[in-house]
Amino acid sequence: MVTLVSYIIVSAALLGIGIYGISVKRNAIRILFAVEIIVNAANINFAAFTRYLNPPTVSGQVIVFYSIAASAMEAAIGLALILVAFRLNGSIDVRKMDKLKG
Amino acid sequence: MVEVALTIPPDVVFIAFATVTLLAAILALQAKELIYGAIALGASFAGIAGMFILLDAPYLAMLQIAIYVGAVVVLILFTIMLVRREEGEEVTEQRERGEGAAGLWIAGLLAVAIAGVAALAGPNLPSTPPGNALPVSQLGPALVTQYPVPLLILAFLLSAALLGAMMLAKVER
Amino acid sequence: MVNIPTSPADLLPFIISIVTSHTFITIIIFPGMIHLTLVSAFLTWYERKLLARIQLRIGPLYAGGPGGILQPIADGVKLIFKEVILPYKADRTLFTWIPLVLIYLGTLPFAVIPFGQHWVIANLDVGLVFIFATTSVFPSMIIIFAWASNSKYPFIGGLRSLFQQVAYEIPMWISALSVVILAGSLNLVDIVNKQAKIWFIVPAFLSFIVFFICIMAELERLPFDLPEAEPELVAGWFTEASGAIFMAIFLALYLKLYMMSALVTDLFLGGWWGPPFLPQPVWTVLKALVVATAIIIPRGIYPRIRVDMLIRIGWTRLLVIALANVFITVVLVNSGLLARWGL
Repeated sequence: MVTLVSYIIVSAALLGIGIYGISVKRNAIRILFAVEIIVNAANINFAAFTRYLNPPTVSGQVIVFYSIAASAMEAAIGLALILVAFRLNGSIDVRKMDKLKG
Repeated sequence: MVEVALTIPPDVVFIAFATVTLLAAILALQAKELIYGAIALGASFAGIAGMFILLDAPYLAMLQIAIYVGAVVVLILFTIMLVRREEGEEVTEQRERGEGAAGLWIAGLLAVAIAGVAALAGPNLPSTPPGNALPVSQLGPALVTQYPVPLLILAFLLSAALLGAMMLAKVER
Repeated sequence: MVNIPTSPADLLPFIISIVTSHTFITIIIFPGMIHLTLVSAFLTWYERKLLARIQLRIGPLYAGGPGGILQPIADGVKLIFKEVILPYKADRTLFTWIPLVLIYLGTLPFAVIPFGQHWVIANLDVGLVFIFATTSVFPSMIIIFAWASNSKYPFIGGLRSLFQQVAYEIPMWISALSVVILAGSLNLVDIVNKQAKIWFIVPAFLSFIVFFICIMAELERLPFDLPEAEPELVAGWFTEASGAIFMAIFLALYLKLYMMSALVTDLFLGGWWGPPFLPQPVWTVLKALVVATAIIIPRGIYPRIRVDMLIRIGWTRLLVIALANVFITVVLVNSGLLARWGL
């Protein structure tokens, strides 16, 4: 039986995978993958809660709608920043981008 | 003759989608090639869309596929192709030093947190979805009448993001 | 609910009950797999004959039957037996799997396109958005395949194809928005039912024109043929495809052609409504073939559009016309001018 707790477990697991990706990986694009995974985890959480609430409401779906649009925008800007960083530093290794100068 | 219903129980569907999503997310971070990682990320997004359908939000599921798999994955693929080093293939990443330990720690913390939530709050959370879900036609009026300000802010944000990304990625000659 | 047979005497009634059930007929026969395969194969032959007659020649003639109608089968057999050449350092997994995914994406929208009042596989409430979602996954598959071919011409062709398809998706769906406003629902069966008295091409004529131009660009047909510009790019993003892989991509392209034609008939040309001397699904198929003819004919007539004109038309002119038509449609619906047709 699929309960609300099952969806919370899935969402928390995705959050954990995303945190692992942000903290361990050194390729900037993989860190962006991890950020997108975390945002998707939050979306699933919103959608699950809005379905299982008494009485049913549509606010969670509106929030997910905005969240999808906003995170697509943030992915676009993040990728543009990765491009600029690649041009300035020659690599997308985040361990090499530790100086504010230049 | 035995009477049998030819349906797939929703539990099996949920477990299938959840497994695909989690495995694809792990693969997206651990794959050797970035392009395989991007495709796995697309599969993970598709699994999330499947879970949206199970949660009676079909419009959100279609939006998820159209925007994430159709646009964000394309953007990521473009960026991966543009940041390749010129000398042959990209340097295959050696495994980072603390990877296994960090993964185990996070998995352990998560297991404790999930067990805590399931034990403490589980009995108080609803275990079956109530009644009928709202139809798709309710989403539009809610967006425009109850939440018009975020809609306008979203429009401005989209224009700003579009212009910003173009300005950032422009090649100065 | 089905009756599983428990003894051999029940086997035949069981098989008959499965074969004549509505689900089986819609998924396998019509508008399912057999119908799609036959019509897509027919469209390849039809296009070659039509273009041949426009260009004052005859076209396929010898493959059997009247006028070479078995030509697609001959093509299929030939392509299956050809060698699949993998380019140097091409990505083997992606190269062989992406064409199958493309066929899958080409047939998936047919699950929601209705061919008759009850001839639909899945009557989704969000049918139109489902088609939007699946057609927007095409460009990412194309760019992956072009990258996996590891060679210059496919890559440039893939990029051009991506720009073109992404640019023309937006006016396409804004002009479909006019239809949704007129019908008041995203469900394709409802949209066709509302066209019982008047086809939506009449109040939303500008939308029809924009939608038609956009699907010609989505299908990469002349005059939007730039990704396949033969003197420049050999064959565009599927240059390196050979043998069975080329057959899969070819089939996917013609499935997409049929899908877009069926979508145009359901959105604008009244779906299955017509004089009752022919059954409903036959009307839909006939109208879809008329639309497919209208898509194929410009290939023999018009020159190719230059890339900067292509992008400019997609992002500026067509978008403005589509938005203007949404505005006109809102005015028409709210002013009650269309009340005598029930809109």
